[in-house]
Amino acid sequence: MNSLTRRPIRVVTFLAFCAMAMTAFARPQAKPPAAPAAKTASAATAAPNFQKTIGNPSAPITMEVFGDFECPACRGFFEGTVKQVIDDYVIPGKVYIIHRDFPLEMHPYARQAARLANAAAEFGQFEAMERALYDHQDEWSAKGNIDQVMATYFPPAEFKKFQTFEAQHMAEINASIAKDQAMGTQRNVNQTPTVYITAHGKTEALPGGGVDYKLLKSYFDYLLRQ
Amino acid sequence: MATTAISSEVSPRPAGWPGTLLIIGRVALGVIFLIAAYAKLHFAGEWHLRDYQFFFAMAIDSYKMLPISAVQLMAQVLPWFELVLGIFLIAGIGLRVIGTITSGLLLVFIGAMTRAKILGLEINCGCFGNNEKLGAATLIRDSSLLVLALAVTIGAFLIKKRRERLSS
Repeated sequence: MNSLTRRPIRVVTFLAFCAMAMTAFARPQAKPPAAPAAKTASAATAAPNFQKTIGNPSAPITMEVFGDFECPACRGFFEGTVKQVIDDYVIPGKVYIIHRDFPLEMHPYARQAARLANAAAEFGQFEAMERALYDHQDEWSAKGNIDQVMATYFPPAEFKKFQTFEAQHMAEINASIAKDQAMGTQRNVNQTPTVYITAHGKTEALPGGGVDYKLLKSYFDYLLRQ
Repeated sequence: MATTAISSEVSPRPAGWPGTLLIIGRVALGVIFLIAAYAKLHFAGEWHLRDYQFFFAMAIDSYKMLPISAVQLMAQVLPWFELVLGIFLIAGIGLRVIGTITSGLLLVFIGAMTRAKILGLEINCGCFGNNEKLGAATLIRDSSLLVLALAVTIGAFLIKKRRERLSS
């Protein structure tokens, strides 16, 4: 058999290999996570409901962030990306942000910070509290003196309301955090920040650990063009 | 001896176990590259031929090595490049060149992963989809692939040398 007559055999073998490889890996994969509950859940839930959201719920894109207020990567993502997303996409009504609490065990004060953010959310101050917690993470994450540090960034009367609410609704707040964590666990969240983007009825998980603003912007622009 | 000489005159292809090992090695490596390309283009239960580059760019960018423009270009091109490498490896076309390119590419991947580990970056590998965390296991796997790629490349060069010796 010379090399010319062998060539068709080689091509056929190669094509068979390709077909087998593609068939083997064309198996059904895990279904993407369900669309965010905030957009679909009935409003008839018992108060308090801890709306840890920023923007208009009817925006075409929803960005869910599983975050930990003590996590440096979450702060980096918030400072470098989320703030620009708020300015460029949330304020014009194109993106709706949902925060999900995912305090990691390695961060001893993350849960305490999450409780304060939940309490602030009940008074429509979630965004302000989130900004304050991330902007001043270095000040409170070393000693855990969250109330002491955060009190300096809010009017005393308003901050007192957050503290009182937190003390009176500790069980509900903890339940809200646990609910977010359970949701994250169900979606295989294994690091923070983990971001899900929902648009056109589909939800996609972004690579964990935060995303550069320019890359996220190009993805948002692509989704908005669809 | 005479048989070998006759068969090599008729067929310049390697005979015996070195040739068989080379075929197994290159096909295995090729299939792995096809899987890597496939995982970047098909995830979360569907094909992402129009938007894969956004997700892959985010994974590449998490290594903090390249400017955004280079990240975007690499994200656009790399899955297809891996696909072509996989096809060429399986088909055994231009094995010395393809083997060298594959080895070089794996060396770059291992370098990037090692750097990320040294810097303590808690990131996803981005090698086979978005959900695989970068760790010792991913480094060992890519190092094993590099060994395989080098073996295929060296084997291809040795067989070429043997063919030339036999034909001269």
